[in-house]
Amino acid sequence: MRRNTLVLAAVLLILAVFAWAGWANWEYRQQAAEKLLAGAARGELVAAPGGGTPQYVSPLDGKAAPAFSLDDLNGKRVSLASYRGKAVLVNFWATWCGPCKVETPWLVELRDKYAGQGFEVLGVDTEADDLKADDKAGWAKDKAAIDKFVAQEKMDYPVLLDGDSISEAYGGLDDLPASFFIDRDGKVVAASVGLTSEGDIESNIRKALAE
Amino acid sequence: MKEAVLAELARLAELGSRQVSGSAAQVRRSKEQVRCIRRAAGAVLILGTLALSTRAQIVSTTEKTLAAAKPDAVTFLFPEQVTVPAGKSSPVVLHFRIAPGLHINSHTPSDEYLIATDFSIPEGSGVRLDGAAYPAGTLFTLPADPKTRLSVYTGEFVIQARIVAVVGSHLVEGKLRYQACDRNQCLPPKTIDVPIEVIGK
Repeated sequence: MRRNTLVLAAVLLILAVFAWAGWANWEYRQQAAEKLLAGAARGELVAAPGGGTPQYVSPLDGKAAPAFSLDDLNGKRVSLASYRGKAVLVNFWATWCGPCKVETPWLVELRDKYAGQGFEVLGVDTEADDLKADDKAGWAKDKAAIDKFVAQEKMDYPVLLDGDSISEAYGGLDDLPASFFIDRDGKVVAASVGLTSEGDIESNIRKALAE
Repeated sequence: MKEAVLAELARLAELGSRQVSGSAAQVRRSKEQVRCIRRAAGAVLILGTLALSTRAQIVSTTEKTLAAAKPDAVTFLFPEQVTVPAGKSSPVVLHFRIAPGLHINSHTPSDEYLIATDFSIPEGSGVRLDGAAYPAGTLFTLPADPKTRLSVYTGEFVIQARIVAVVGSHLVEGKLRYQACDRNQCLPPKTIDVPIEVIGK
C-alpha cells in the first residue's frame, strides 16, 4: 500500500513536471509564432520563378501605407496624409548608398514628368547611424551632408529626415534604396528594394497613378 | 447448542474462505494497478522526453535559422591572441573576410559620402592603437553606373595595425566600422567587434 502511494506520488510528480514542460512548450510556441508573424511583417527578397532576379515582397503590398510625419530640410513638418489624393513614391535613401545615388536622377526626371498628373516623390533620408535625439552635433553633421547631397543631385522634391524612425513600419528596411508606390487612396500598390531600373520605377508610378 | 456452534464455525470458515479469496483478488488488483501505474509512468516519461527533445530541436532550429538570417557582411578571422613587447609599438596583422557577393568601401573611398572602413581600439583597454595600414581598394563599378569607380574591398583583406600594450594580459575589443553593398543595394553601416587577447611582456 505504501509502495503504491509512493509510485502514485512519483507519477503525479512526473505528470506535474511534464505538465509544466508542456505549458512551457506551448508558451515557447506562442512566442515563436509571434516572432514568425513579426518576421512576416518584414519585407524580403523572393526568388523569381525560373531563377530570374529576386523580387522584393513587401508585407505592405495592397495595404494602407503607414502614416508618418517627418521634418523636411527646412524644419517643416511633412505628413504623408497631406498627400492624400496624389500618387506618392516614398523613397528611402542615404548619402552613403551608391545605388541610391544612381537612381536619384531617374526620380528627379520622373517626378517632373508626372507631377502634373498628381504625382510626388518623398525622399526619406535614412542614414542608420543611430544618433540619439540630443546629439546635436551628430544631427548637424548629417544634415550638412544631406543638404550638400541634395543640392548636388538637384533633388527638387521634398526630402525628409530621420527615416530610421519609420523604417520598421515600412517592413524593416535592412537594405537601401527602398521604394513604396502609394496610390491616391493611400494604398501601397508596389514596392521595391535595391536598384531596379528607370523603366521599372516609371511602370510602378503609372500603377500608383492608376493609368 | 452443538449444532449452533457447528453452524457458527461453518459460517466463520466460509467467511474466512471468502476473505482469503478476497485478499488474493485484492493482491491481484494491486499488482495490476502497480503494473498500470508503471506503464503509465513509462509512457509519460517517454512522451515527456520526446516533447522536451522536440522542443530542444525547435529551439535549436529556430536559433540556427535566426542566426543564418542576418550574418555579418564582414567576419574577423584572426589572430585571437598576440604577444608583444610591452611599451613598444608592435605590428599586428588583422585578417577579415567579406561575405560573397558583397563589397565594402576601402579606407579611402572614392566619394566623400561613402563610409570608409576603419579600425579602432577603445581607450582604457591597456592597449593603444599606434597606427594602421590599410590595403589599397580595388576598383569596382555598379552595372547601372559604369562611369563611377568605387574603391572597395572584397573577399579577404588584412589591416596591418600597430599597437602599444602595457605589461599584462588584455582582452581588447577592437572595432571595425564598415558599410557593405552588393551590386544593387546597400546595407546600413555597421561596427563589429574585433576581440584579441594582447599579452604585453
